[in-house]
Amino acid sequence: MADIGRESILGLDNIRLDLPVAGVGSRSLAAFLDYVVLALLVFLWVLLGAILSAVAQSSWMAALVLGGIFLLDWGYFAGSEIAMGGRTLGKKALGLRVVTAEGGTPGTGALLIRNLVRTLDILVGVVLMAIDPLSRRLGDRLAGTLVVHDRRPEMGPVLGRVPPGWGPRELAAAESFLARAGTLQDPALRREMAGRILERIRRDAPEMLAGADERDPVAAVRQALQAGEV
Amino acid sequence: MDYSRFVRLRKPVWDGFEEQLAPGRKSRDMGYDGLEAMALRYRQVLHDHALASSRFPGTAAARRLRGLAVEGTRLLTGDRGERAGLLGFFGRSFPRAFQRQLGLTGIALGLFLFAAVWGLVLTVLRPALGLRILGPQAVNGLEEGHLWTESLVTTMPPAFASSRIATNNLTVALMAWSGGILAGLVPLYSLLLNGLMLGAVLGVTLHYSMAGALFEFISAHGPLEITLILVCAAGGLSIGRALVAAGDRPRAVALRETGRDALAVLLGCLPWFVVLGVVEAFVSPAPQIPFPLKVLLGLLLEGLFLFLAFRPVPEANR
Repeated sequence: MADIGRESILGLDNIRLDLPVAGVGSRSLAAFLDYVVLALLVFLWVLLGAILSAVAQSSWMAALVLGGIFLLDWGYFAGSEIAMGGRTLGKKALGLRVVTAEGGTPGTGALLIRNLVRTLDILVGVVLMAIDPLSRRLGDRLAGTLVVHDRRPEMGPVLGRVPPGWGPRELAAAESFLARAGTLQDPALRREMAGRILERIRRDAPEMLAGADERDPVAAVRQALQAGEV
Repeated sequence: MDYSRFVRLRKPVWDGFEEQLAPGRKSRDMGYDGLEAMALRYRQVLHDHALASSRFPGTAAARRLRGLAVEGTRLLTGDRGERAGLLGFFGRSFPRAFQRQLGLTGIALGLFLFAAVWGLVLTVLRPALGLRILGPQAVNGLEEGHLWTESLVTTMPPAFASSRIATNNLTVALMAWSGGILAGLVPLYSLLLNGLMLGAVLGVTLHYSMAGALFEFISAHGPLEITLILVCAAGGLSIGRALVAAGDRPRAVALRETGRDALAVLLGCLPWFVVLGVVEAFVSPAPQIPFPLKVLLGLLLEGLFLFLAFRPVPEANR
């Protein structure tokens, strides 16, 4: 079943691809961080301009400062997204990235378009993102883009052997337990959870427990299910 | 298929694909065979993802495959677009986009002229309105035979004035363009307001017999400045039209296609504002430059822009 927060698109051969769409919260926080960076850049630019004007004594310096502020104001977001593959510093900090509506890498044009509309999105963007299941603001709609969580593919433990009759729920529970066993703080809880899984293995495939030391249930589960893991 | 068998059989493909996706691996270093192998693996990963998400949802293999499919799609697909370079842009992309929105530029011109005539008639019939539009300071100046535009260069150095004028005009153009996404209302407002202001200013200067001085001031930069605002506003109108009346295309598709053309039009106009900023600060108010020379410069700038915009370009396949 598709999550409401995910864009289901049909990729190659009509295969459904769920994009991990970023919500209004993380996007607003990223934008806030970017505006802090932008304010800092403008401050530094004005400071540099003031120092240079004092040295050069030219009215062109003031013209340059004004032009620079305009460029930073209108170009910071688009420039960073073009230079960093759909990310600004704020998006990078929060692990977000701009992609096309099909999940691909957006071109320069799309990144420019979505950021030229930013001034209007300051007024209406947050509300639009909040009511849209894909969290698109005006710029995203015009450019055909989405902002997604930029996660590297996960590398969790994968079961090497599966007791007959186990469905995806049992598989996911066992894999999730093996992934988290090392980080569970309460040893009693860890033993209890491992005990329950061992019980299911004993019922469905007792031969898988041959040679397992059941005094340490976690090790026994690991040995039973991960033996022969590729 | 059994889960563990599925993982055992397919894992080498996933590992190979993940290795090819690793940051730092550039497709141009891969060679033809490498790219072909990558395309094949991408397809296999997508199919495995489809199988895992329906047969083994929530498992580690399904999550990993989803991540690989999303990451692979991002890196292998997307808008590559036409990389034209500056010459190619002004030679092909800009005139093509400009000519596609010519109808809307005509409508923008019509709206602007309508508002200008309206403003002119209003201020000619009721000169008191001019005082409210221009402000008492400008009107006092007019009574003494001075245009308010003189203060552009007397209160600040021309270099700074040129930068201020350029950034102000750029902001007006950018807002008129981007405001198209609000159903075209912002460009519509911008066209009517600018037209009304121009007509009103003309009416007031006519009343004080200063219209000649006003024409001299605007002759060098005015024609192109008005054209650029009209063209950018027309770009905004085209965005608004795609939003309100998408026709037989889905609205999202209409917006994206229109957005691309409108962006080309906007980018083709923006550099001219910088040129006009310099002209308006250095040439327009300069009393030592003769009026005919200013008119010639204005016509030259306008002619050059229109020449670039109307250049015949073969229509690209869309």
